[in-house]
Amino acid sequence: MWKGGGRMKSECSSVSRLLEKYFDQEVTPEERSLVEDHLSDCSACRDALKSMENLTTLIKSPVEEAVEKETFPWVWEKVEKGIQRKERPGLWDFLKSWLDVTPFLKRKILIPAVAAAAIVILITAPLLFKKTTSYPTLSVVKYVESETYNVMIYELGTPQVTVIWLFEGPEEESSTS
Amino acid sequence: MKRTLIFISLVLILSVLSISTALAQVQTRIRAIKASNVGQTIDPSLRDLYSDLGSLFNFTSYQLLRDNSFILSPNQPVSISPRPGILMEVTLVGQRAQVVELIIRVVRKGKETLNTQVRLSPRRTVLIGGPKLREGVIIYAIAASF
Repeated sequence: MWKGGGRMKSECSSVSRLLEKYFDQEVTPEERSLVEDHLSDCSACRDALKSMENLTTLIKSPVEEAVEKETFPWVWEKVEKGIQRKERPGLWDFLKSWLDVTPFLKRKILIPAVAAAAIVILITAPLLFKKTTSYPTLSVVKYVESETYNVMIYELGTPQVTVIWLFEGPEEESSTS
Repeated sequence: MKRTLIFISLVLILSVLSISTALAQVQTRIRAIKASNVGQTIDPSLRDLYSDLGSLFNFTSYQLLRDNSFILSPNQPVSISPRPGILMEVTLVGQRAQVVELIIRVVRKGKETLNTQVRLSPRRTVLIGGPKLREGVIIYAIAASF
């Protein structure tokens, strides 16, 4: 009995060194086996392990609770400042990174980009190169066609009025009013 | 690739939008006026036109019969009836910085009596007149602002 108790005590002293590692799950498989064998026979070490668990729970719970509740504004502030301190990329770098192409002349973007540019040019070219006619001040009436009336045109600069005068036709408007 | 497609789509959409806004809408006003030598009444709503009318015609009375204001979009005809039995179709067919081109068709009893294309600047008025209306004549005053 004494011998056994002495063995137990000597094992306790060697296992107690491993107990913390065991609790932190940092033991080797052999050490784990050794500790677990010992724990099955030694209530004192079991109590010691239980104490470790209780202590951890005691500390961990409030800390985790506090972490969940806390938004750590000062931490975020520091992070933001850190981000701001980082050199801001140029527009071109930003565009390249946004498009996720490096280098730019990758086929996957080059072809659609060229196609888009071609479409834009096709749409805008007629407007850009449209003949810009400068209209003389008095050239207001481009054409007049009437099978019913004889037409006379007065174009005046001052006042800025153009008159299209319709002379009597076969039917007069008064007949409908 | 997805971002690329979004970027190209945005470029295309912006291009189309900028082109379409280049051809802006044009506010157009057509007034039907009865001019005669019966009486000496000048419709107060024709004050802005009276000096022009007075310098061009010898009528002593001008009466506003109908006042139509509408917005023209490119190549979309707008029809109005300035007088009973008369249909006037106006189409915006061109636009420059200070000039718009309008095609004006006058249809009476289903028959086209006038077809003209005019270039209007913001300060210019086109008067289409002559058809008799009882003891006077009818004059259509057409103006555009843009």
